[in-house]
Amino acid sequence: MLENFKEFCEINSPSGDEKSIRERILSEISPFCECATDRNGNIIAFKKGKKRSAVKLMVDAHLDEVGIIISAVTPDGFLKFQVLGGIKPSVLLCRKVIINDSVVGVIGCKPIHLTEGEEGKKLPSTDALYIDIGCSTRAQAENLVSIGDSGVIMSDFVALSDNCVKAKAIDDRAGCYILVELLKKSSEYDFYATFTVGEELGCRGAKTAAFTVNPEAALVLEATTAADIDGVSDENRVCVLGNGPAVSFMDRGTVYDRDLFSAAVNSGIPCQVKRAVAGGNNAGEIHLSREGVRTLAISVPCRYIHTPSSICDIRDIENAERLAVYMINKICSGEV
Amino acid sequence: MNIEKILTELSNGCAIGSVTDAVKLLEKQLSKYGTIEKSNGLTRSLTIKGKDDYTLLIDAHIDEVGFVVTDVSDSGFLTVSNLGGIDLRHLAAKPVTIHGKKKVCGVFVSTPPHLDKNDAVPENISKIKIDTGLGNSAKDIISVGDYVTYRQTADILNGDTVCGKSLDNRAGVATLILLAERLHKKRLPITVEFLFSDAEELGLRGAKTAAFKSTADEAIIIDVSFGDGPDIPATKCGILGAGGMIGMSPVLNRDITDKLILLASDNAIPYQNEVMGGKTSTNADAVSICGGGIPSGLISIPLRNMHTDVETVKLDDIISVADLLEKYILSGGLKNA
Repeated sequence: MLENFKEFCEINSPSGDEKSIRERILSEISPFCECATDRNGNIIAFKKGKKRSAVKLMVDAHLDEVGIIISAVTPDGFLKFQVLGGIKPSVLLCRKVIINDSVVGVIGCKPIHLTEGEEGKKLPSTDALYIDIGCSTRAQAENLVSIGDSGVIMSDFVALSDNCVKAKAIDDRAGCYILVELLKKSSEYDFYATFTVGEELGCRGAKTAAFTVNPEAALVLEATTAADIDGVSDENRVCVLGNGPAVSFMDRGTVYDRDLFSAAVNSGIPCQVKRAVAGGNNAGEIHLSREGVRTLAISVPCRYIHTPSSICDIRDIENAERLAVYMINKICSGEV
Repeated sequence: MNIEKILTELSNGCAIGSVTDAVKLLEKQLSKYGTIEKSNGLTRSLTIKGKDDYTLLIDAHIDEVGFVVTDVSDSGFLTVSNLGGIDLRHLAAKPVTIHGKKKVCGVFVSTPPHLDKNDAVPENISKIKIDTGLGNSAKDIISVGDYVTYRQTADILNGDTVCGKSLDNRAGVATLILLAERLHKKRLPITVEFLFSDAEELGLRGAKTAAFKSTADEAIIIDVSFGDGPDIPATKCGILGAGGMIGMSPVLNRDITDKLILLASDNAIPYQNEVMGGKTSTNADAVSICGGGIPSGLISIPLRNMHTDVETVKLDDIISVADLLEKYILSGGLKNA
C-alpha cells in the first residue's frame, strides 16, 4: 500500500530540521528531473515534459511536520520544550518523542491519582510540560541532547483497513508523495516542483521558493482537516475521508483562483469542495508572490491532523494525484 | 537472565479480561521453575517448596488498565467504558488495540480545533470515541464487550529506564520472575508461593479469592507506586532508581516491614520508605484481611505516569526489590520471629 508514502511518514523531519526527508526525496527524484536545494533548504526541481508549457507552473508540497524544540535542561535532567507548529496540549501529554532521530523521551504528567480538585479536569499548559529521557542530572541529559535540538512525537504507520491508514506527518508527506510520483512519471508538459521547508512556522520556504521560481500559476498539494467524526454535524465536517481530495475556494490564507477551482470541481475526477473557510497553507504565500500567482490547493482529507495519529484514505491520495495531473495539463495547455 | 527483554515483552503483551498474551509469556517463563497452577480468570501461581512448609506468599498482579467496548456505530466509531482508573486528559489521538474477532488498531478521537477551541478534557469516558477507520465493517469484527488496550511498544530511555504500557504491574511480575529464576534451584528454608493475580485494577478481585485459597503464613505484595517528577511534591512520591518503596501502614504487618528495612540496610540494598495512613490501594489491602487474615508487607517499584501508556520504571529498582526479597526468603521470613 503506497510503500513510499509509508516511509515518508516514518521519516522524522520537524520544521527547521527537514534534512532527512529532503535527502530521501532528492534520492527519489534526481534521476527524473533537474533538482537543486536552495539556501533555505527547499528543493526546487524542473520536470521536462513532452511539450513546452504555455504557462509557468509551480507544484508545491511542504517537507516539514509539526514537532518540538528543546528549550532548556533542568538541574534534575528533564528537558523543557516549545512546540513547532500547532500541536494541541491534549496531544502532547504522555507521548513518546524522538529527539535528533535518536534519543527517545517521554512527555510526562502528574498521575491523575495525585491531582486535586479541578486540576485533573483541565490540561496543564505546554509551558508546564517536560520530557523525561531517563536522566537524573543536567550533565547526564546534556550528554544526550542539547538545547535547540528538535524532535517529533513518535507514531508508527498502521493500515487500519483496506483504505485507511494511521500515521504521523500525513500533513504533508501525502503532498510530498504525490509530487514525487508526478516527477517520476512522464509528464505531458514542463513544470516546476518545489518541496518547501517551514510551512508549519508560517510558510517560510514557500515564500522564497515562489520568488525564485517566479510562476504564473501554482498547485499546492496538501492535507486538510476532515471532521467526519461521530457526533459532528454534517455542516461542520469540512470534508469526508473517501470522497476524494478537497479543493478550496478560500481559507484563512488564500482566496483561490476561481477558474482553477471550477476546473478542478468539474474535472470528473472524484473530489469534494472544502466546506469551511479555515486553516491555511503555502498557497497563502505563493498566491501573493511578486505580482501574484493564480493558485489552487488540492488537499488530502485527514482526520486528527497535526496529531501523531492522523488518519487518511489512500484512495483520496490516488485521486489527488489524478486531479493534479489533470490540472497540470489544463493549466500548461493554456485551457484554464 | 535478560530482565530488560522480559519486562519489555511483558509490557508489550496484554492481560485484561479474556485477553491473555502477557499471561502466556508469563507461563512460558514460569514453566522453567515448576508447575503452574491456574485459577480464576488470569490468575496463575507457582510454588517452590522449601525445607519447611511455612509459606510466604508473594503477589504481583498481572492485569492492566484498559477499556471495554459498549457500542459500535455504523460509521465505525466505538464507545468504551474504562477498566480501572484512566486519566481522560491524555487520551486524544492515542492509539489502542481492539481485541475483536481479530486484533485491530484504533485511535481515540482528537476533536479538530475548529470544533474545540478550548481543547477541553472529555467530561467522561463515554464522550471520547475510538475511530477504527473500518467504517461500516467495524461491526463485522468488533462486538460490545470486546476488550481494548493501549497500543504501545516499550522503549529504553538512556540505557536503564523502561517506558511502555502496563508496567503497572508487569514491573512487579518481572521482579517475581527474576526472583523465581534465582530461587528455583536453591534449598530454601521456607516455601514460597508466587501469585500472579488477576483484576487488581477492578478492585483487588483476583488477590481476594486467590489469597482465600492459599494457606500462606505471611505475604508480601509487589506493586508500583508514584515515582518522582518535576510536577510532583517530593513527599508524595518515591525516587526512580533509589530502590523499592517499603510500605509502612497500619494495614501492613509491622514485623515484616521492620525486617525488610533491616535486611535492606544490613545488605546495602537501596530502598526507600512509603508511609500510608491506612489503605495502600494495593492487593495488600485484600490479602491482609482475607480468610482469617494473612500478615502482609508491601514493596512498591517507583513508576512515573501511572495508568498511562508511557509508564516509566528503572531496571535497577526491579533488581533491588528482587535482591531484598531473596534475602528475606533465605533468612526464613518471619518463621522464627
